[in-house]
Amino acid sequence: MVENVENPVLELHNVTVAYQRKPVLWNIDLTAPSGKLIGVIGPNGSGKTTMIKGILGLVPLSSGYVKLFDQNLDAVRQKVSYVPQRGSVDWDFPASVWDVVMMGRANPKNIWGRYTPEDWDIVERCLAEVNMEGFRKRQISELSGGQQQRVFLARALAQEADLYLMDEPFVGVDAATERAIVKLLKNMRAQGKTILVVHHDLQTVSEYFDWLVLLNTRLVASGPLAKVFQTDLLYETYGGKLNILSKVGDLIQARQHPMRESS
Amino acid sequence: MQRFLRKTYAIGLKCLGFFSICFLWTCTGGPPSGPSEDGLPLIVATTGMIADGIRNIAGDRLEVRALMGPGVDPHLYKASRDDLRLFREADMIFYNGLHLEGKMAEVLGKLGREKKVVPVAEVISPERLIPVNPDEKLYDPHVWFDIPLWKQVVEEISLELQAFDPEGKEVYQGRAAQYQASLDSLDRYIREKIDSIPQERRVLITAHDAFTYFGKAYQIEVKALQGISTLSEFGLRDVLDMVNFIVDRKIKAVFVETSIPRKSLEAVVEGCREKGHEVVIGGALYSDAMGEKGSPEGTYTGMVRYNVNTIYQSLR
Amino acid sequence: MEFLPDLLDPNARWVMLGVMAICASSATIGSLTLLRKQALVGDAISHSILPGVCLAFLIFETKAFWVLLPGAFVSGWISLRFIDWISQNSRIKSDTAIALVLSIFYGLGILMLTSIQHSGNAAQSGLDKFLFGKAAALMEQDGYTFLVFGAFVFLFVSLLYRPLRLLIFDRDFALTTGFPVFALELLLSVFTVSAIAMGIQAVGVVLMAALLISPGIAAKYWTSDFRVMLFTSAILGASGGFLGAGISLIWPKMPTGPWIVLILSLIALISAFLGTRKGVLRQYWMHKQNQIKILEENILKCFYHLGEPDASYEQKRSREEIQARRHFPPSRLNMGLKRLGRKGLLASQGGGACSLTEQGIQEARRIIRVHRLWEIYISKYMHLASDHVHEDAEAIEHIITPELEKELEHQLEYPIKDPHDQNIPYAPKK
Repeated sequence: MVENVENPVLELHNVTVAYQRKPVLWNIDLTAPSGKLIGVIGPNGSGKTTMIKGILGLVPLSSGYVKLFDQNLDAVRQKVSYVPQRGSVDWDFPASVWDVVMMGRANPKNIWGRYTPEDWDIVERCLAEVNMEGFRKRQISELSGGQQQRVFLARALAQEADLYLMDEPFVGVDAATERAIVKLLKNMRAQGKTILVVHHDLQTVSEYFDWLVLLNTRLVASGPLAKVFQTDLLYETYGGKLNILSKVGDLIQARQHPMRESS
Repeated sequence: MQRFLRKTYAIGLKCLGFFSICFLWTCTGGPPSGPSEDGLPLIVATTGMIADGIRNIAGDRLEVRALMGPGVDPHLYKASRDDLRLFREADMIFYNGLHLEGKMAEVLGKLGREKKVVPVAEVISPERLIPVNPDEKLYDPHVWFDIPLWKQVVEEISLELQAFDPEGKEVYQGRAAQYQASLDSLDRYIREKIDSIPQERRVLITAHDAFTYFGKAYQIEVKALQGISTLSEFGLRDVLDMVNFIVDRKIKAVFVETSIPRKSLEAVVEGCREKGHEVVIGGALYSDAMGEKGSPEGTYTGMVRYNVNTIYQSLR
Repeated sequence: MEFLPDLLDPNARWVMLGVMAICASSATIGSLTLLRKQALVGDAISHSILPGVCLAFLIFETKAFWVLLPGAFVSGWISLRFIDWISQNSRIKSDTAIALVLSIFYGLGILMLTSIQHSGNAAQSGLDKFLFGKAAALMEQDGYTFLVFGAFVFLFVSLLYRPLRLLIFDRDFALTTGFPVFALELLLSVFTVSAIAMGIQAVGVVLMAALLISPGIAAKYWTSDFRVMLFTSAILGASGGFLGAGISLIWPKMPTGPWIVLILSLIALISAFLGTRKGVLRQYWMHKQNQIKILEENILKCFYHLGEPDASYEQKRSREEIQARRHFPPSRLNMGLKRLGRKGLLASQGGGACSLTEQGIQEARRIIRVHRLWEIYISKYMHLASDHVHEDAEAIEHIITPELEKELEHQLEYPIKDPHDQNIPYAPKK
């Protein structure tokens, strides 16, 4: 069950992504509405992170295209914010909380520029929103998991974007932090931002999201929470990989077969 | 898919190209070392000086090959597979000894068990050698620049050849006597030339300590930046000391060597210049290796004569 | 000290200048490489320049610096591309790719070098000096070249340290935000290979990796700020260069390159030991501080406990009384009593006995309070039996800060008694 919207903030058309020659996402066709908290769920290895990376151009698409705000990514980069998995970064790096959040204000067009007082104010404000003002000078290597996630979120906020893509932000995070972050996300939604979250915990889905995407290498369903968060669809998502699809994928990898005839 | 193939192909081609160039350049050049021609007995010597001596004595009774060509540093030389093949085919091997061929000791040792291997410099009695470390019986190996000593070596070569090929005994004796005579006249020539350099200018500065025997035999002061072996390192202190020495004694010229990089002495020259004293590089001396085959400096006597002339011209 | 005027000698000046400049530049670039977790790549590139040098020599038949250097650069660059390509497009992991490329290129280089040596080309000698460098023979021109390169490195890093920091910390974020990541990485690679190609003349192929990495490692023990770290590594690198060259200046037959590397390694070792950020010494010092604090507080508690049955807190206590209540090693007890006396928490009463001062009583009450609050906390939230909570509190009581104490009181809603049914001595309201 795939519901489409007019004027989607995000559109994936026939997107296929391969990792080491094996297709991880098959023919994803979806649109996502703006101003909503969108959850992306599926079992491990179902291609959720790959989808985000594909949207952001961090991995190449084997086929299809992605449009954000009805344009290519390059035209709207400043409107998009990426919050990667916490494990994707080395937290031993010599930087303070302040340094990292300030990265959100970095402007590629002004590569040697210094930061302005306005930037400082914005960073201060974002730190306050995630309750980390007292930590601004703290080394990031000394933070707990929840604090690290909050720093990432503050950095994203500092970017003042319209579309936020977050990859498993609640993994390894304490309950208090999770509640605080969700509250913050709902505030952002109220301000008209769109937030897409790859989520790992089925228990909290109905509490957090208004729109849901079910992914297991292929799109199982995408639409409003009530319509999609159904037992039969969940079975389909979590019930193991489609055997035949899986085998075809293995064959493609083994024989180095092209995903599309033209490539 | 085709794009990937093309990419791999392109990169593969570049790799192949790069490695081929390297390999081809490597293969060209290098002394041809086929089996001995004419069926004559094969005598192999390590340095050109020794080979030259043998050739002069043996005439065309024997085939003589030198392992190390012009410009090759014997302190650093490592025997290659081709060299080993040459050694195996040789009927007799002559080498300098006294650790000149520093990196070939093991090879020569092993060969010594199979055939006749003669360390010619070791025939000289220790009192006439210049000690480096007398406790460990280490001596300076650069004996070929002291003609009287080198005459002993030539005599030894002659005796060995006579023992190896008794039929040619008279030939060898005759030729050796001739060669010794030419060495005598060379010795006289050197003394004459060196004596005519004014005493205060009689200082020979080279890149490494190859000329100590020369200095001792012909009364000329000798100094060098690197030690006995080119493997030895020198430091900033040594450079400074050398510069100060040259400036103090107002030395006119220093000498690089054909088998050693110029850079160290160039730094010394620049340093002297900066201190207001003009010293030049008087020329390149043949220290551990002779000149190109076929040229006058390609023979032992030619090389020594060239050295002496160069030294004389620059210092007088 | 007679060598001091020697420092003004031209050769000494040139060597010092050149060596310090190349050490500082290599250290800075090397720190960036280190943070990117590509330390081994620097070593690989150092070894990979050899075939390039040999090839350049073979083609142009000269050992001129401006011919061999581009040769070194090209070879180093190709090896870098190879490493990237292999690790991205095959199943071989990056450290294996590095080892592979290093051995192949270096082997090829040695092959070519040996062949050149055998060819008897008179001008060939000295190519092997590229293996170990000849810092002592640096001349004015070299010094200036290194200085200019150093200036470029400085410019590069000071203008672009923000994007570089971003790029190294979170590459994906930098890409997503639209930073010219490929251009920056390219520039970084160019600088790395160039620094290596130049530094090799000072310390040689085999030792170059030390110039790149040791100062960065050392700097990590002194600071946690990115900018300060780069600056510190440059300073430490230059110092190593200075001291190494200095040793070569004072004593004869001391090769400059190897000494520089030795000094740099020593600096790294000392930093690991003494460094204010994570050094061994600092950890040891902190451990000692903790021990002292625990000792003092335990002594105060002892006094309090002795006085608790009849509220006789000001009473003097002898050492035997204290030891009877709780055992302390005698020397430590002495030290503790002395320190507490100096802090004004105990007053000496003659004959080896002391008593709590007013301040001492307050402090003792605080410790007891915190201990008992903590006992309640863990028995309530961790559901431990009351006979288990004491030990935990014994350790934790020393670390609870006043802010945490307030939180505890608030959270537990100001309890009166602890799990052992003892009173909790709250501070009297002022």
